[in-house]
Amino acid sequence: MVAQERTEAAEQCLVGIADLVVRPAGSVLLYTHPLGSGMGVAIYDPVSKAGGLWHAMLPDSSIDARRAQAHPAMFLNTGLAELLKRADDLDVKKENLLVYAAGGGRIMDATGYFNIGAHNHEVLVELLARQGLKVWAADVGGLANRTMQLDLRTGEVRLKISGQPKTRILCKP
Amino acid sequence: MQAIDDYINSVKMLPPAPRVVPELMKLLKQPNVDSSRIVKLISLEPSITANVLRMTNSAYFAAATPTTDLQEAVTRLGFQQVYQLATAATGARLLSNAQKGYGFNQGELWKHSVAAAVAAQLVAKKLGGEDENLVFTATLLHDIGKVILSQAVDGVYSKLIEETEIHQQSLAEAEKKLLGVDHAEAGGRLLSRWKFPANIVSAVWFHHSPKAAEPYQRLAAYAYLGNMIAHFMGYGYGHLAFALRGRGEALSILGLVPESVPQFMMDTFEQMHVIETFFALGGQAETA
Repeated sequence: MVAQERTEAAEQCLVGIADLVVRPAGSVLLYTHPLGSGMGVAIYDPVSKAGGLWHAMLPDSSIDARRAQAHPAMFLNTGLAELLKRADDLDVKKENLLVYAAGGGRIMDATGYFNIGAHNHEVLVELLARQGLKVWAADVGGLANRTMQLDLRTGEVRLKISGQPKTRILCKP
Repeated sequence: MQAIDDYINSVKMLPPAPRVVPELMKLLKQPNVDSSRIVKLISLEPSITANVLRMTNSAYFAAATPTTDLQEAVTRLGFQQVYQLATAATGARLLSNAQKGYGFNQGELWKHSVAAAVAAQLVAKKLGGEDENLVFTATLLHDIGKVILSQAVDGVYSKLIEETEIHQQSLAEAEKKLLGVDHAEAGGRLLSRWKFPANIVSAVWFHHSPKAAEPYQRLAAYAYLGNMIAHFMGYGYGHLAFALRGRGEALSILGLVPESVPQFMMDTFEQMHVIETFFALGGQAETA
């Protein structure tokens, strides 16, 4: 509960589905809508204390170019480009970035017809690798529905698992 | 299954039977139904009356002169809109409470149900030839059995976790093993007792195994798919939210390919934007 008390003074900013927010240093707590099989990605620059949070729903924008235009954050490929561009706009150096990932919940699916969570995770890892970025800490897959939080004051990344009362720390830089 | 019916009887805090929606469904099936009968029926439930008046006088309908007359409101909105409002008011009343056994906070089961219903209705709309209201209602009520079983599930919580995590059972399978009944069947039985039509009873009862819903496989498949889409989009709450079985049959019953699922997720995303504002579903901070 200590963590919760500390966050009370911070401005809280919801990052909805298919949304991303990048902010300069400040007293801000970013948090996602529950991720489901989507991916939450947090980036944080411990030097400038700028950071961002992103909630992608699907792997690839090629299925709907019109929607990718309107909501680039909906897809992993267009969303990652947008996230890094926004960070660059704030003069955040890519080599400073700590990257965290969560989400990609999976049902028990022997058919493979409903494997959106697994597919999302694979694609994210590949896209990050292409950018020379690696995931610092992750909580991905499994049966949980997660919400991701990034506290810009400290760079702490927390997870709230649906059905569980307390938040859990994913990483404390 | 007398034992299960006895169990339903014994549940404390069972919500009162919704009187309006099953009757309204019957009325709307008749040709040339007299609107005074609809007015008489919906005036039985104050929450429905309030919703209908609120909607009529909202900016959405841009009424020149506000009305407090229910007959006038029904005429302005039309029967389909009234039916949807009645369903929404009833669903909100039945499904909004926290269900501790399943780990649902206040409002979460309702939000899940609305997202699933919206998704299923969008699929139905795309495929055409379906009664979209029926698809919406059946899917909205798919998890009503959880309201009945929540207390019992709470009592076997640690065993339930063991069944799902260690033995890889779905939530419904674990319920069946530990309680003798799963939430889908419990919901079907409850709706049957509440005199909902057989197709809705069946779709709810078999929303995790649509092939078994014969002759209402399609309706059950819509409920199955709506439920999945809601989960994928994060509108699935509680402990082990993803302890669900993948059923390819749901797609084949509807003549869909797996690749269509992301398309419906995007459609649902757009629709939820409208719905969240209207049903005031959104935005509480998730930082607790």
